[in-house]
Amino acid sequence: MNIFMHELRAYRKSTIIWTISLIMIVLLFMSFYSSFAKDAAEFTKIMEGYPEAIRNLLGVNLGNLFTILGFYSFLLTFITLCGAIQAMNLGTSIVSKEVREKTADFLLTKPVTRTAVMTAKLLAAFISLVITNIFYLAAASIIIFQVKTGDFSFKLFIMLSLTMFFVQLLFLAVGIFISVILSKIKSVLTVSLATVFAFYFLGMFSTTGEEAKRYLSPFKYFDTAYILENSGYEATFLVAGAVIIILSIAASYYVYVKKDIHSV
Amino acid sequence: MNVIEINQLTKNYGKARGITDITFNVEEGEIFGFIGPNGAGKSTTIRTLLSLIYPTSGNAKIFGMDSVKYAPKIKKQIGYLPSEVFYYDNMKVMDLLKYSASFYKKDCSKRIKELAEIMDLDLTKKMDDLSLGNKKKVGIVQGLLHEPKLLILDEPTSGLDPLMQQKFFELLEIENKKGATILFSSHILSEVQKLCNRVAIIKEGKLVTVEKISTLQENNYKKFKIDTQSTVGEDDFNMTGVTNLEVKGHIVSFLFKGNINLVLKKIAEMDITNIWIEEPDLEEIFLHYYEKEA
Repeated sequence: MNIFMHELRAYRKSTIIWTISLIMIVLLFMSFYSSFAKDAAEFTKIMEGYPEAIRNLLGVNLGNLFTILGFYSFLLTFITLCGAIQAMNLGTSIVSKEVREKTADFLLTKPVTRTAVMTAKLLAAFISLVITNIFYLAAASIIIFQVKTGDFSFKLFIMLSLTMFFVQLLFLAVGIFISVILSKIKSVLTVSLATVFAFYFLGMFSTTGEEAKRYLSPFKYFDTAYILENSGYEATFLVAGAVIIILSIAASYYVYVKKDIHSV
Repeated sequence: MNVIEINQLTKNYGKARGITDITFNVEEGEIFGFIGPNGAGKSTTIRTLLSLIYPTSGNAKIFGMDSVKYAPKIKKQIGYLPSEVFYYDNMKVMDLLKYSASFYKKDCSKRIKELAEIMDLDLTKKMDDLSLGNKKKVGIVQGLLHEPKLLILDEPTSGLDPLMQQKFFELLEIENKKGATILFSSHILSEVQKLCNRVAIIKEGKLVTVEKISTLQENNYKKFKIDTQSTVGEDDFNMTGVTNLEVKGHIVSFLFKGNINLVLKKIAEMDITNIWIEEPDLEEIFLHYYEKEA
């Protein structure tokens, strides 16, 4: 419990900053919505001028872009990207920061098992993400009710928003795995940005073509158009995500417990 | 009773040297010195004892329990001071010590104050603002606050000024009298000499010897230095028991172990102007060990 509280306190500042940043992005984008919805017809014309491939790359879906949820889906792509970076940062730093700041000697000579250390750290990172999402959801709900021009399904809004949380969990798990595998990470940001953007671009280019390609990028596990149409998530992708999370975390525990902690 | 039993402990790091076949015991209530030059394998041995790294083969028992299998249980009674102290930079000293104490399930706040006073440590400062010596003090308090039965100190004196070093040694002696066993690694022999009962000497990953400090010193080693008018050839002292022979002009110096009469007779034959016969300090014996092995 003491490690958990210590870790949570260590993440407090970054959690607050990330939460506020995410909220600012929603606020900024959604404030454009009313004027944007007014000029829908003209905007559609412009967008139609773009080849379909480009529209897909940008994540623009002309069918629903001008409904409030369609518009929100569009900006959710960026929100999720930011959220993924936050989660990846958390995951990557969990173990690596002890090595980089050379505090592993302190922590691991205390009467605790490495499993307990990992669990406490993992839980603290998880709770940080949960807190981020609670505040984000609350703020985004308030914002969307302020700018709405017509009725919309609040349930669908929540379902869309939760996809960020799921993607974050995926990146958290992947981040932890990377941090136990690499012996020393000099800069968390470099590793996490590189990984997140690699997956992001992989996702962009897997929008065209076969369905199977979507499994390559966590960003494509949740298709907003599908959610809007079916009021549900795609089961196979949920399963794939869960499998990746479980495997990464199990492997991380396994490696971390067996690993030699070298001085400096 | 043995507090530490190290049994054929081996740790390989790929190509780099680790430790090979280290075997020695530390008895309860001892202050045990663990000496060797940098890179000899002192830290590797200590980190293995603490199961920060895992042995390639062999094992170690602490309080009679396997050091890997029962690591968390063993560590309740261990205080560890690493050679380089690093703690969470943005914490205050007091918060760090409280965090450290929170692992031991007993109230240490009184003890923290006590130790901080002895070591003259400001508890309100941020870790980040502390000098190397002050960080070391935090390390010392952190290692002692839960009154462990076994203290493992890895080159603990680096960064401490002589006054603090003195206080630290006094603290160690008090802990030792209260019953704590101490494993003290160092490459500075004089500090081991003052404090320890026995020493293990390690070199290039292998144990050279385990000796009582008193035996090491007494062992009939005498340090001879002779000022003579007659010319001395290298061969003049070519007798058993003479080591580290040095002839510099008319000054001859060497270490001697054996029947002292033999060497005195030899010297009596010479025309000498001055003579010094001293107990060698550990450093010289130590170097002697190293040369013998090399």
